[in-house]
Amino acid sequence: MDSEIQRQGSRNGYHGDQQSLRSRQVSSRVSNQNYPQFNWSSTPAEDDVEGSSEMPRDLRSSPLHMALKRAVRQVQQMQVPVVSSRESWKRNKAKSLRKLKDNTREFLYLFALWSKSLQKIGGNFGGGVQSFFLFLRFLVVLNFVSFLLIAGFVLIPSIVFRSVGTGLVNSTGPEECMEYDPNPQGLVLFYNYFLDLLSGTGFMEYSYMFYGYYNNTMVDDTNFSYNIPLAYLFTAVFYFAFCLIFIIARMGTAARVAVATGGSAVGNYSMIVFTSWDYGCLGDRATKLKQKNIHYRLQVRGDLSYLAGWRTLRKKWWRFLIRVTCFQMNLSPTSFLFLCQVDLEEEMIKKRAASLTTNQKVVLYALRVFMCLVAFGLIIGAFYGIFLATEFSQEKSGKEGILGLIFEYLPSIVITAGNFLVPLMCDQIALIERYAPSTTVIVALLRAVFLRLVSLGVLLFTLWRQITCDGNTESAECKLCEYNYNFYPCWETRVGQEMYKLTLFDLLINIAVLVLVEFPRRMVVDNWSNKLAQWVGRQEFVVSSNVLGLVYGQTVVWTGALFCPLLPLINTVKFIILFYCKRITLFNNCRPALKTFRSTTSTFFFLVVLLFGWSLATVVMVYSLAEIRPSMGCGPFRFFPNMWSIVPRSFSSLSETTEEFLFFIGSQAFSIPLFVLFCVVMCYFIALASVYGKSVALLRAQLKLEGRDKQFLVKQIEKLSRQLQIPQHTAGAGQ
Amino acid sequence: MGNKQTIFTAQQLDAYQDCTYFTRKEILRLFDRYRDLAPQLVPLDYTNHPDVKLPYELIGSMPELKDNPFRQRIAEVFSEDGEGNMTLDDFLDMFSVLSEMAPRDLKASYAFKIYDFNNDDFICKSDLEKTLNRLTRNELTEDEVRMVCEKVIDEADLDNDGRLSLEDFQHMIVRAPDFLSTFHIRI
Repeated sequence: MDSEIQRQGSRNGYHGDQQSLRSRQVSSRVSNQNYPQFNWSSTPAEDDVEGSSEMPRDLRSSPLHMALKRAVRQVQQMQVPVVSSRESWKRNKAKSLRKLKDNTREFLYLFALWSKSLQKIGGNFGGGVQSFFLFLRFLVVLNFVSFLLIAGFVLIPSIVFRSVGTGLVNSTGPEECMEYDPNPQGLVLFYNYFLDLLSGTGFMEYSYMFYGYYNNTMVDDTNFSYNIPLAYLFTAVFYFAFCLIFIIARMGTAARVAVATGGSAVGNYSMIVFTSWDYGCLGDRATKLKQKNIHYRLQVRGDLSYLAGWRTLRKKWWRFLIRVTCFQMNLSPTSFLFLCQVDLEEEMIKKRAASLTTNQKVVLYALRVFMCLVAFGLIIGAFYGIFLATEFSQEKSGKEGILGLIFEYLPSIVITAGNFLVPLMCDQIALIERYAPSTTVIVALLRAVFLRLVSLGVLLFTLWRQITCDGNTESAECKLCEYNYNFYPCWETRVGQEMYKLTLFDLLINIAVLVLVEFPRRMVVDNWSNKLAQWVGRQEFVVSSNVLGLVYGQTVVWTGALFCPLLPLINTVKFIILFYCKRITLFNNCRPALKTFRSTTSTFFFLVVLLFGWSLATVVMVYSLAEIRPSMGCGPFRFFPNMWSIVPRSFSSLSETTEEFLFFIGSQAFSIPLFVLFCVVMCYFIALASVYGKSVALLRAQLKLEGRDKQFLVKQIEKLSRQLQIPQHTAGAGQ
Repeated sequence: MGNKQTIFTAQQLDAYQDCTYFTRKEILRLFDRYRDLAPQLVPLDYTNHPDVKLPYELIGSMPELKDNPFRQRIAEVFSEDGEGNMTLDDFLDMFSVLSEMAPRDLKASYAFKIYDFNNDDFICKSDLEKTLNRLTRNELTEDEVRMVCEKVIDEADLDNDGRLSLEDFQHMIVRAPDFLSTFHIRI
């Protein structure tokens, strides 16, 4: 046998090798189930039809043992000299591309912050909490890279030019408008430095921190020219564009994962049994909790399929509840009621809603409308409070001491208090409204997002009112310089200071809540075996409100980046501190939730909310660039009618052809065909996406049909075999 | 790191990179984890293909696996001898399939093997009963276990032979949105 194979091999050369491999049986050395057979004959066919890039991927995704995979790989490598040069070139290109991808992945792994922490968090608390920390890490990276951008183009040139001492460009203007003297007069007490650090005034005001310190240096040497105002403007615009691209790229990857896993399926038995165990679950406690969760889901599923009524279901809930609370005394009974799977509750609520009479339905809807108005009224009330607080704070600015500090921080305090109290009250309102659980979550989230972002908008609107005298540039105070020069000799710095105070206050409040609320709560619950303490229980890590806090903080930074260029750096440090604080509170004070959170869709949702914040900040930036007159006493734009006008002015210094080219790009002759082209490309992608969706649906239906075909054929076979057996039987019996 | 490592030859590392979803650095990191389980058994030089197998007790004591109720089945499925004693190849294979880059079909075929306790290429009622008991820590009553097994086979068995084949299992996994994220161990 062996000699025959050898002779075959020597005759046909390469093909002989294939033949001999084909005829050789891949029998396992150890006869066990785990050693599957490999179809050797398929290898040459695959090679001719598909490209080289398919091979390594096919090998990795084939369910074979490593030794078998290596043997297959060796065979595939032996085929290399026989294929055409084009094939080998394709193969080499694919291989080098893969090597490049691997190298990039390894390089990025160096910068992967906190990966061990994230793994531990995901294992103990599940995917939802882990997605919050991943989102926080993404924001840290975004802010740090933006700071590098700003430092490279604005900060470092400013430092260089200031130290070199290049002259400023001067111009004439009304004397009163150009008065700006932020340096404090007289003796400065020691504690004033600390107060200045907290409120951004004093020694911090006239520093690289704020807009007012930068000069409108325009260096124009023989072989080097740098225009600081232009660089400042373009860096700000590019910073926004860069953040948008980063966010959308990340949204793309999150969306791809969410789409690939398909829509949500009802939790039927096979799904619960085979896909609910989380293999990344770490730790004894988390494992036990997961097992209890699966047990509960199977039980409740059973009751549902027997079409149990609402009451029997509730009874089962309480019985199971008591059992679990006896097992784990730190589980709060009331919050356990919210810890079911969302789809199970949905079904129950739907059943209950279907059993209402028309009268009850009318009452319910009227109640819902009324409660909606009440919630809206609460939010408007919060906005009015912020408006009043901002006006009062701006009037009282300049006061000294601790009282002055409190007045400075009054808008931040009111915003934070509103963001805490109003969602609490909206939660109570939601209990009366009695929506389905998923609707309740979405409504609460929308209300909270609206509250947070628009309260920031109200603060900015109040500031604008005071800076531009209600938009009326003809009024007495604003007539001279088109802005209120008495109160705001350098209004950009003032806006920057407000944003700085908001950021700092946010961080201080988070740390204060951690130290003064969360740790004491844990100590009380653990050491005081009172019924009240057990009823309150350890807190749970609420992902949605924490994410909203992050989005709010990032929106503040985006709004303030134009006026306070170092704000992204401060925000990076703030988010790093926040990461460690949240991690400490998670591991020490929180208990893991029984409710599972779909982490694939939640990442996408966080990024959508972040985009809302980004658009608010963009509106503010565009308005400040185009409409308001920059201060005449400070800043790089002091002698321009508005910030954007530096762009046309510096264009005039470019060469003729560049100017013509840029004018052409901006003109209608170019932009309209470009717009039409974008529409065509978009239509193409939409059509492609819909075709893919239809083919996916068709394939799914075909899969189902084939299963039914199988069943039908099996039944036919059974029938036929029975028919064939019976005549034999009668024939046998007859004889 | 880089060109200075002497544990594997360049061809060996290339082969590992082609056969798993790991990069060079990740393979070396995994080798360090493997060696940490038993430094006296695992040599530092794999260039002449030493035949080293770590017993199941060591593998099952890894922090990523020690609380998993299916750890014994995972080790048995991925080991060559079917007893749970793993060579380095098996170790790399296991974490490659359980990593986030492995595709759904590959994970589904291995998950099927894990839940197939008697290794007969079908998930029958006894396999399902064992799976359920591990999932719920033996807390379900006999009746409940029986009912759930019947329901599962009712739902998923397409060819009506009273047990689940690999195609039935994969068909059901296709409709599960969470499978990729739950059948995943990060190391």
